[in-house]
Amino acid sequence: MGETELSTLTPRMMNWLARFGAHIATASKSGHPTTIVVESATIDDGKYVTYQLSDAQRDQIAGNIAENPYVAQAPHAIAAIRAAYQFKGPAKLEGNSLKVEIKEIYCTKPGPEAALRLDVLSMDQVIKFEESRWRDVGPPK
Amino acid sequence: MKMNEEMLNTLRSVGSGGVVVHLTTCSADGVPNVVGERFVASYGEEHIVIADMFAQKTKVNLNENPVGVITVAHPTKERYWAFRGPCTIIMWGEDDDYDFHGAKAGDVLREWGDWAAKEPPSEVPPDIRPPALCQRGVITLKVDEAYSWLPSESGKKIL
Repeated sequence: MGETELSTLTPRMMNWLARFGAHIATASKSGHPTTIVVESATIDDGKYVTYQLSDAQRDQIAGNIAENPYVAQAPHAIAAIRAAYQFKGPAKLEGNSLKVEIKEIYCTKPGPEAALRLDVLSMDQVIKFEESRWRDVGPPK
Repeated sequence: MKMNEEMLNTLRSVGSGGVVVHLTTCSADGVPNVVGERFVASYGEEHIVIADMFAQKTKVNLNENPVGVITVAHPTKERYWAFRGPCTIIMWGEDDDYDFHGAKAGDVLREWGDWAAKEPPSEVPPDIRPPALCQRGVITLKVDEAYSWLPSESGKKIL
């Protein structure tokens, strides 16, 4: 791959995440999972996803984030079908903002591509992959 | 813990009027994994079953840390449910009498071991339809608790 820059979030991933948010999976250090759902997100620099949590959501996951900040996210609502991705990375809770740095990106489309890791490919390769699998570049306006 | 009638009726494949869910598992040292699942059903009053179509990380996680969370993703229609409890994959080849928290392996596999034949995903658009449906077993979660994921009351017990 040489000096080709590895992929961050593609425009398609960002469009779906921003519009519908994600199911955010957290866990205690001993592996007890808790999942919350946030219905929108903002994305910066193609690799930082920020979710605004309610007080109840913050209280629900603050302990997990403090002892085990690595989280997994999968798009919510119709994006659970249309945008079969999973994003993982360390999260930081500041007030009610949960900011996640995306370190791993997977395709979760059922079949031979399930669990295919996309962040080890170049951005061009991932976009070509997306264009060959899906007909959209985000949710309908 | 018994699910209510609305839950039992809702937890079925989206093509049959049900929902798409996300399944969260995590490794023994706490790295979570969350994936969407469209082949879902209630089994009895206390279990939720999902087709295992080679969910690779899910299997690794459940082998070392048999607990999961199932969250309703689409369509929600005010069904802001998260179910948590012991979770495993009942694989083809398992002893018929193996009992997972009240679910007999043979019974689960006979009813849900060939989902594509029972509920073919004919309504799924071609660009998101899996090219082949191969099922290795049935992911089975015993509902020990249910909480709301509605942001304003997230974590509130609903069962």
